[in-house]
Amino acid sequence: MSVVKIHTPKVKLASLLRTPGGRPVVEALAAAGKGLGGLKDDCLAELRQTLERAEASVATLNGTYDGPLVAELYEFISASIGGATTCGLEAIDTCLISLADLLDTLKTLQRWDANAVAVHLRAFRLLLHTEAACDAAGTEAILSGLRKVAAHYARNKAAG
Amino acid sequence: MRSFGESGAGPMGLNPESRARFNLERASILIFDEQQMGMNILIQIMTGFGAKAIHRAETIEQAHHIFNTTDLDLILVDATGADSKGYDFVRWLRKSGIDPNCFAPVLITSGHTPNSIVSSARDCGAHFILAKPLTPIKVLERILWIAREGRKFIECDSYVGPDRRFKNEGIPAGLEGRRRDDAITEVSDSAGPNMDQELIDNLVKTRRAEL
Repeated sequence: MSVVKIHTPKVKLASLLRTPGGRPVVEALAAAGKGLGGLKDDCLAELRQTLERAEASVATLNGTYDGPLVAELYEFISASIGGATTCGLEAIDTCLISLADLLDTLKTLQRWDANAVAVHLRAFRLLLHTEAACDAAGTEAILSGLRKVAAHYARNKAAG
Repeated sequence: MRSFGESGAGPMGLNPESRARFNLERASILIFDEQQMGMNILIQIMTGFGAKAIHRAETIEQAHHIFNTTDLDLILVDATGADSKGYDFVRWLRKSGIDPNCFAPVLITSGHTPNSIVSSARDCGAHFILAKPLTPIKVLERILWIAREGRKFIECDSYVGPDRRFKNEGIPAGLEGRRRDDAITEVSDSAGPNMDQELIDNLVKTRRAEL
């Protein structure tokens, strides 16, 4: 039987945070936001590369399931989540999260759904290259299409 | 009445307009992220918070080196992807025995967070997993939260890290308690009238995170 040791280590971070000086929350958040704003061009360039890479990967699949390729697609789509919000394009992150969910499900089911993936990539392209992302109604129309795809897969998954 | 979202507060209720101060100037922070953009985002957030001693690691070798040679107060690890080295790194550091670094608060970030990933993060010994996209208020709330709570540490053959039962939802269903202070699951007949809902709500009311 293994021995279990339970203790409460001192968290030095707690005392450092209380050290006099530092920044007020409101100023710290503003400074962090300003710093993130400086990354906008780099983030947009990376999103364009991600889109092109995803479209090229999907084209090579030729409508059939390829485990390693789908896994690779899932990896780099997951890795690109987060940058869009930095550029003020939260809807693209919503689209990428939905696509990652879909690819994760397809990996589990070991099947390919070219239409469902294509809908996501078209949405990604629209949100990135048109004014749709700046227009609340346009964004909502695009995201509601993705929600329907996600709901369809959730039902299928629940049904086994 | 304003809703939660309208107030601008983060998910844990930290008021973004607060003038309360916190100090990260002397905190030694390790950021391990294999993705350049993810690293840049965390650097900008932590710099905005006033952190000055930020150690960057883009490979697991660099992360090991910094961990072995520097006293650390906070560790941020990205673990995006199924075969991420982030989990291995956290598992290793918890078992390293390098005091005090092995007890340092660890926040894991991840781009996609299905249940399997959340379980991996919990079981590798991290304090918390933060789903991307990251926003400054989400990151700050979690840092304040893991620094304050004084969570117990568990060390055994199969796991080293913060107590995973921090929500205290009782013994997992179908199992017997393994701890001396685990409460028995059978409940006796009531000894008095039921408490009214308002009283119950007041007892379990969530409170704003305060500095």
